Amino acid sequence: MSDILTYTPVEEIPKIRDDLRATFRTGVTRSLEWRKRQLYQLARMAQNEAEAVCDAMTRDFGKPRFEVIVAELSAVIRVALKSAEKLEEWARPELPDVPDSQKNWKPTIYKVPKGTALIISPWNFPVTLTLQPLVGAIAAGCCAVLKPSENVPHFSELLAKLVSQYLDTSAYRVVNGAVPEITKVLELQWDHIFYTGNGRVARIVTTAAAKHLTPCSLELGGKSPVVVDAAYDMELAAKRILWGKCNNAGQICVAPDYILVPRQKQDELVRGFEKAYRTFFPNGALDDADYGGIVNDFHFKRLSTMLDRSQGEKVGGAFEGRRDPARRRLEPVIVKGVDGNDSLLEEEIFGPLLPIVVVDSLDDAIDFINARPHPLVLYAFTEDPNVKERLINETQSGSIVFNDTFQHLAVAELPFSGIGESGYGYQFLRYTFEAFTHLRSSVDIPKSEESRLSLRYPPHKPEAYQVLGSALNIRIPE
Amino acid sequence: MADTTQLKYTTLNEIDAIHATLRQSFRAGKLRSIAARKVQILQLAYLIQDNHDRFKEAFAADLGRPALETALLELDSTISDCKIAYDSVEKWARTEKAPFSLNFFPMRPVIRKEPKGVVLSISPFNYPVWLALGPMIGAIAAGNCFVLKPSELSPAVSGLIAELVPKYLDPDVVRIVLGAVPETTRLLELPWAHILYTGSGRVAKIVCAAAAKTLTPISTELGGKSPVVIDPKCDLQTAAKRIMWGKCVNAGQTCVAPDYILVPEDAQDKVIQALKATHDEFYPTGPSTAGVFGRIVNYAHFRRLKGLLDRSAGEIAFGGETNENDKYISPTIVKNVKGDDSLMSEELFGPILPIVPVKNVDEAIAFINDRDNPLTLYVFSQDAAFKAKVFDNTLSGSAVANDTLVHCAVDGLPFGGIGPSGSGYHTRKYTFDLFTHLRSSLDSPAWVDALFGSRFPPYTAKKESFLKSLLGVKLPPRPRQLANGTDQVGKGN
Repeated sequence: MSDILTYTPVEEIPKIRDDLRATFRTGVTRSLEWRKRQLYQLARMAQNEAEAVCDAMTRDFGKPRFEVIVAELSAVIRVALKSAEKLEEWARPELPDVPDSQKNWKPTIYKVPKGTALIISPWNFPVTLTLQPLVGAIAAGCCAVLKPSENVPHFSELLAKLVSQYLDTSAYRVVNGAVPEITKVLELQWDHIFYTGNGRVARIVTTAAAKHLTPCSLELGGKSPVVVDAAYDMELAAKRILWGKCNNAGQICVAPDYILVPRQKQDELVRGFEKAYRTFFPNGALDDADYGGIVNDFHFKRLSTMLDRSQGEKVGGAFEGRRDPARRRLEPVIVKGVDGNDSLLEEEIFGPLLPIVVVDSLDDAIDFINARPHPLVLYAFTEDPNVKERLINETQSGSIVFNDTFQHLAVAELPFSGIGESGYGYQFLRYTFEAFTHLRSSVDIPKSEESRLSLRYPPHKPEAYQVLGSALNIRIPE
Repeated sequence: MADTTQLKYTTLNEIDAIHATLRQSFRAGKLRSIAARKVQILQLAYLIQDNHDRFKEAFAADLGRPALETALLELDSTISDCKIAYDSVEKWARTEKAPFSLNFFPMRPVIRKEPKGVVLSISPFNYPVWLALGPMIGAIAAGNCFVLKPSELSPAVSGLIAELVPKYLDPDVVRIVLGAVPETTRLLELPWAHILYTGSGRVAKIVCAAAAKTLTPISTELGGKSPVVIDPKCDLQTAAKRIMWGKCVNAGQTCVAPDYILVPEDAQDKVIQALKATHDEFYPTGPSTAGVFGRIVNYAHFRRLKGLLDRSAGEIAFGGETNENDKYISPTIVKNVKGDDSLMSEELFGPILPIVPVKNVDEAIAFINDRDNPLTLYVFSQDAAFKAKVFDNTLSGSAVANDTLVHCAVDGLPFGGIGPSGSGYHTRKYTFDLFTHLRSSLDSPAWVDALFGSRFPPYTAKKESFLKSLLGVKLPPRPRQLANGTDQVGKGN
């Protein structure tokens, strides 16, 4: 137990879950007005407590205030309000279009909350990765337990306090802790588990969920490749890629992980990186408040070791590659001429190291990508429609983004998810609402349908076969 | 009768080879084109239409299924599903544009519908065509390669599918794996892009645990005890007919069969009378007459059901005839059944219908809520308030009023459970969606940085306030009180 973060006593955890279940049973979350009030309170919490949140993130790992406000708090506020605005539309029962013979059956799809959900979030974007799923759970009418990361103790402690002040605690609670506490949480039955993190822990979560047949959403990561086409403007590509890499010092699931570039363009791209770096951080990134730190000593060591073991050529010049272990600060490092077996290609980097792999053709780039697990996002800088087409058709990834890095996250109307090792289950706006919603189909058959339906009853007359078995005589196209 | 040992199981080495072949086919893009998918779907429709009589014989051998039930519930419906997919796949697979957003429209955000890869479906014995081939249609329509592991408990039908599929469909994209526990275990050790498991909750937990190791997304179509709540004021004659029909079809071996009835104590007898009258209309020469009523799939299930019936503390109102050789159990109504009775201990999956008398609808609702969420909840009532009360205060996969089973036939309604009755939806477009990956995509032009250049460091107050004005929002007025009655919190109250 840390002295910053108050861990929830393990014995209290089942009771918290039971309390939330009891609240769900009362039906209080059914009311759309009730849900909207909770959403507005969440938005208000993000607005009013912005300074406290920024302060906690600075203490936790020096996350730049700008990034917390623009990439996290603003996103949560917008999404909470948009969800409140759209709630009636999303929650409205659907009336599917059916053949005439079924129109009197009142076929309806009701959107019902699944029940009590568990949301487990990581340390890197803790505001948005905890609260955006919560927005969807609230909108869907679920109760929820949040389990934020103990790697951001100031934030998680603050979250517990704020949730109890702003939201209805009979429906929304925070459980804090580490392994013993999360183990207890995972022993219990939940109606949906929304897990954001890594593949190793995801297997633990899904194995626990299997015992209760609990459906899961997994938002994982992986190595997101960047394919750069020789004909593209190298300076612009470099700027957008470097911005993607420097955000949160590369500690983001959709960070551009490594680059695939034609051999003859590598040096031009590197010059583009140098130019961009000088513009972003005129005095270097080490002491710049606009550049974040590494979350903890473990990850700092991991990144340092990965970099030291690399056989690639570290780019110098503007990139001094300074490190400060005491403050866990690591300047961005570009490494040229990396080959497939390099230390930098063994696992998701999740830090400010950018390996460049040279390829001799698009075929090589595609093969390189396909030899590895499906990434969360595939980036490609190209204006060539043939290149785009080949990448779309011959690779698989959670999303595919052309000519920028992670702007797709900003388009809240796009579903976000991984595939294969990068995860499953969609989120953002309506998709998060749907993750926590059950589609309850319904029909209501009037007596007047008997004349039409009675052919199905035994004893089965010959004409019953003709009418009900008629598909056997449907004209199938040639 | 057919015997499981007649089925030739796929070897473990063959299973590995099948997985590898289909993966290669997927990579080679064999089902990428809509035209290629339509060819396979069409072939599947012909497979059924051409072999209609052979299927009917196989059903009779496996399940003693009357010919009309087979035609209506399986062959007919599957051909119809093929036609729907054939006509709709282009539309379903079309890339969608994201809803318009002023800030992001220049980046042309779209949602592509892509196949997930090589997928696995494990299907059960009770609807061995519809539940085996239905998912195949949706998976192929979505562009996936498909492995089906049909049930060894329906060997005649599964064997027939295994014989016909390689003749009609391309073996590079669709394969059938026959087997039991060792073969299924091997399948589950391999990584799949999606697994659909239809069957029991007990086995589902094993399947989910295996899928967890490879982070394979999994959908489960399970079962449970689907309750029938009867409003005594309802049109009982029609209700009885529809309930008996749902229970007798396939001798009650249907995941959405009406499992048990909840009705006020003083209405119990008139419900029984109505059910008996229907029973006699359905089977004028008796349900044991050859070809009019189904049989239990095997001896183990027969004994299971007989055991539940023998141990019941309720009274048999009518039926109760059994014949082990024939795996025959007659439609049986048991009255005065209590919550802890043997007949209430598990999903029946047979032609036994217990009636649990309750005081009133509130007690019925509490009874349902004390148990696992059912796959379907049935209510028979013409009173809108009665129906609303039951549906609004319970949770179930589907909510059906005034009939049984038919909701599965409505194109456009998702079919799926909740909690122990399963997760994920299927039938028609929902099956297509189950096996589809939504791949979001953006294409960002250079000039966009004229607006978005503020995202780049150095971070200045001016940039921060510009971005806030571009992306920020104005909140509605503060609510006066929270729902739980506490006064407003937060600054500036």
